[in-house]
Amino acid sequence: MSGLPHSSLERQRRRAAWLFLLPMLIVLAGVAGWPLVRTVFFSFTDATLATLDSFQGVGVDNYLWLVRDPVWWRAVWNTLVFTVVSVGIETALGLGIALILNAHLPGRGLLRAAVLIPWAIPTVVSAQMWGWMFHDLYGVVNAILMGLGLIAEPRAWTADPDLALPVVIAVDVWKSTPFMALLILAALQMLPRDLYEAARVDGVHPVKVFVRITLPLIRPALMVAVLFRTLDALRVFDLMYVLTGNSRSTMSMSVYARQYLIDFQDVGYGSAAATLLVLVLAVATVLAVTLGRVRVDAGR
Amino acid sequence: MAGVTLRGVRKSFGRIEVIHGVDLEVADGEFVAFVGPSGCGKSTLLRLIAGLEEPSGGDLSIGGQRVNDRPPAARGIAMVFQSYALYPHMTAYDNMAFGLTLARTGKATIAERVRDAARLLQIEDLLDRKPRDLSGGQRQRVAIGRAIVREPQVFLFDEPLSNLDAGLRVQMRLEIAKLKADLRATMIYVTHDQVEAMTLADRIVVLNAGRVEQAGTPLELYHRPRNRFVAGFIGSPAMNFLDVVSEGRADGSVRVWLPGGVPLDIAVDGAAPAAGTPLTLGVRPEHVGLADGGAGLFATILAVERLGGETHCHAALEDGQRLLVRLDGDRPVAAGERLRLNLRGETAHLFGSDGQRL
Repeated sequence: MSGLPHSSLERQRRRAAWLFLLPMLIVLAGVAGWPLVRTVFFSFTDATLATLDSFQGVGVDNYLWLVRDPVWWRAVWNTLVFTVVSVGIETALGLGIALILNAHLPGRGLLRAAVLIPWAIPTVVSAQMWGWMFHDLYGVVNAILMGLGLIAEPRAWTADPDLALPVVIAVDVWKSTPFMALLILAALQMLPRDLYEAARVDGVHPVKVFVRITLPLIRPALMVAVLFRTLDALRVFDLMYVLTGNSRSTMSMSVYARQYLIDFQDVGYGSAAATLLVLVLAVATVLAVTLGRVRVDAGR
Repeated sequence: MAGVTLRGVRKSFGRIEVIHGVDLEVADGEFVAFVGPSGCGKSTLLRLIAGLEEPSGGDLSIGGQRVNDRPPAARGIAMVFQSYALYPHMTAYDNMAFGLTLARTGKATIAERVRDAARLLQIEDLLDRKPRDLSGGQRQRVAIGRAIVREPQVFLFDEPLSNLDAGLRVQMRLEIAKLKADLRATMIYVTHDQVEAMTLADRIVVLNAGRVEQAGTPLELYHRPRNRFVAGFIGSPAMNFLDVVSEGRADGSVRVWLPGGVPLDIAVDGAAPAAGTPLTLGVRPEHVGLADGGAGLFATILAVERLGGETHCHAALEDGQRLLVRLDGDRPVAAGERLRLNLRGETAHLFGSDGQRL
């Protein structure tokens, strides 16, 4: 499809294509494009939540403040640690669960549905549920661990700076592993059975089969799943906010931006943080797609 | 090289038995084809020999060794799959070398074996291509090459040509025939295409509903089918079957009356059926001749199919029974015409009501 349209039929088809795309483009421009443009615009102003009508341009001042704020860099670090660790664990666990679900086990359908439950629960709800379970006084986690004799006294899971991030990561793993497992399972089920029979005739050890045949063949789908989860994790907000509030030990970039936008009512500064977050996401996506050679249209 | 022996081999999936006790002897270096309709168990039988399925009963030996409990890789077999089953992310070379590499065969040996197989299959120029860059016929060659480099005692082919178009199939059939002559290995070949079976096999095993109906050379099956199923399955177009009535025995043959009051004497092996017994007469379309005159079997042409080299006439006898007659390609016949047919006892077959040949 390059160059000028050659025939009236071709022109007609292009017009029809644009016509079909138009509603989606309008909606996208309204709900994603416009807010994004406004956020970028505000990031160069001193607007506050109370004075959205009257503000002055301040150039790149907001950004200069931002890069000099250690709390911001702490948030960036937290987000990166959260992303790398949680997506790593989710990928490994998801792969394992997918392989188990792909085996011909009795009750496989039921198992597959059960695995999905954590993913189906809204994050706010599951985060709150885990928040109660990790409660330092009434939480079931403390009760169980103390009952087993593993800890001597109750721990403040979500308040302890050393424990809070691991707890947040654990909850994310609980919630998002099913997503990984299902995407990988779909890829596994696309693999022809004949290949595995050929490998059996060739006498290939099951571990080798996995490493040399299964893994390369599901790689495109696996990379897409990892990319999706990475982008999701980089903009994480609800988990941290519900479990640990604005605590610095777990604060993510999104939590930081929200705090300035809403709590401190500094729309200009908060917008600058949000804009940087979008930039980080964009860079991560470009890196993943080029370095990891992810094909977003996975498959053939 | 080695022969393959099956003794009372059975296979059930759950409560359904699909192979009902098969006894079969495949000699060393023999090319045996399994044919039969869909679902007859021919592929299952091959997979049992390969070790991809476990038999529910019976004994399976390859080269005199019982292999029931051995995994596929330890049976000395190689298999070519209908879908080729090539590893899509590996080059043709790696596909062929993969099994050997993991078996820690020396690099030089692997290279030599792959080159030899590639030369034999004329795919030397394609070795660094991936399967998606190969045509169907080329993929099938690579799949066969992967089997050859294993230097198996027995080659197993599971409908290897059925994914190819007609022209390529004929070409690959000739290649497999050449391969058979070059390798002199034992080969078991599953197909639903009787032409493949007839042209390639030393011996054909006709399977139906999990049982062996008959095993024999291609011409044995064609000339002396043991029962009505084999008679109808082997030969194209299929054999005609007519309802006739026995008149009793005369000089080692049975006389039957054809519709229109024409007698026909057919030699039989077994005891003669009593006069009045209903029988089935089988006669191939190519064995129905035209008579010049005299008393004859009359048939009205219902439809004419001209294939160029031959003409198929669908005809109805006077009592309404249908018959297919195969005539020369340029014979001037038309629907509605009456033919005077000539059947000969030597090329006709008689089957009892149980379907067995008399």
